[in-house]
Amino acid sequence: MRRFPFALLAALSCLSTAACGQDAVEHFDTTYNSLTVERRGDIVELRARFRGSEALESAVDLSDPLRLVVAYTRSLYGALFLQPQPKRVLMVGLGGAGFHRLFAEAYPQALLQTVELDPMVFELCRNRMQFKPTANTPVSIMDGRMFIKRNREQWDWLILDAFRGDFVPPHLKTEEFYRECAARLSDRGVFVSNLHATSDLYFSDLKTIQAVFPQVVLFGVDGRGNVIACAVKYRDPVITDPTKWPAPASLSLPAFAGRLDLEKVRAEVIPIPVNDVARGRVLSDDFAPVEFLNAAKTNNVGR
Amino acid sequence: MTLFAFYLVVIILGILSMGFQLLASRLLNPHFGSSIIVWAWLISTFLAAFSLGSMLGGWISNLAPAARRRGQLIGAAVAVLTLGLAAVGGRAALAWIEVRFEEMSVALLVACVGIFFLPVTALSTFGPQCVQYLAGRGTPPGKASGVVYGVSTLGNIAGVMLTAFVLIPHFRVSTLLYLWLVVALVSLTGLVRLLRTSSSL
Repeated sequence: MRRFPFALLAALSCLSTAACGQDAVEHFDTTYNSLTVERRGDIVELRARFRGSEALESAVDLSDPLRLVVAYTRSLYGALFLQPQPKRVLMVGLGGAGFHRLFAEAYPQALLQTVELDPMVFELCRNRMQFKPTANTPVSIMDGRMFIKRNREQWDWLILDAFRGDFVPPHLKTEEFYRECAARLSDRGVFVSNLHATSDLYFSDLKTIQAVFPQVVLFGVDGRGNVIACAVKYRDPVITDPTKWPAPASLSLPAFAGRLDLEKVRAEVIPIPVNDVARGRVLSDDFAPVEFLNAAKTNNVGR
Repeated sequence: MTLFAFYLVVIILGILSMGFQLLASRLLNPHFGSSIIVWAWLISTFLAAFSLGSMLGGWISNLAPAARRRGQLIGAAVAVLTLGLAAVGGRAALAWIEVRFEEMSVALLVACVGIFFLPVTALSTFGPQCVQYLAGRGTPPGKASGVVYGVSTLGNIAGVMLTAFVLIPHFRVSTLLYLWLVVALVSLTGLVRLLRTSSSL
């Protein structure tokens, strides 16, 4: 019953477009976002509008929903090298569930819990991008930090991918929040965060992550400005040497064929920009001027 | 010179009130997020404080001089004391409230009323008394009211812009809360002295 207003809104919006199910561009103003959903052929994109431009939040290929259309969603699987058996995954930020479908296919026994703040994003994800949550891929509508504070479970991967266009909620970028995340990781769990190397926030963000997690590995997404940071809360064993990681072939699964090349993901490892990070400031609940560090000068403007 | 000091204090009180709302949002965010629910409770709390403070201030301004003087001192003391409590114990109180109250709206109600309502109410009691001050110096009441609330609202705007674009990007929220405390102490001391001259007229 709670979904009725969103379904109605989506239906009315549908009437305003040329034809649903075919190529169409729809605009939605939600409680937290101004969103554009564009369908071209089998590709459906979810974009956030801000300052006269649009940031690609997510995309799905309806002819092959398992395909990882947006480049950074492939790099998220870099976490496999650090924790090869993800049984319990928490993702903060749903978008169009571009990451979820392949994961659910590859790891049918695993739990992928998602937390999304904006109920309309969830509704669009279901109605426009054909995501069907199951018992293993539940979605909770609430603030990500609130969920992590109140949910006492442990997670093998904890993925932070929460944006509102170019805006990153400050309370999801602080040392205290990262400590709360670390406390929810299993012993060999991996904290994964989607960062933007083109923003001034990047170096402070890395410094803050390093203040909490003793070991951090970066994957530079090919030409997109995204950097996926994978961090762990232990010092031993060392995880920063890719030559000591499991072989990509040993991690590949049938569902990955033609969709996810773990060799390429491993090759994306980039060094931590030590000198620049030294100039950054650790962000805390007491000091987090995230809005003034220009969160995302370019946010997935291409695939 | 006296009038200059008077308007300066009115502007400063405007800055303190609305700037405090932005600081309050930064205090609440780590505990309750930044959803529209948080903003709804925060804005409503401040508007309720403005409302009650204005009515109390109107009542105080019509008291006999000695009682009015006591009301002013109590208002200033409550404002300074509760701003001090927010600075010293605000975060600890929020951490307790967050755990103690499972229902988010209840927790926000307790947090907003418990930490932010009293200082803003106490600051707001001085608006009508400033109108009374000007009226006592011969300004027609309607004009005095318009000038005071107009100048105070300019202070509100300055408070929002200064806090958002200058203070929060450069200083810790905890530092700013102590700054608010010191500025409130100085400006309310000055205002109470100014109003005393009015009371003795």
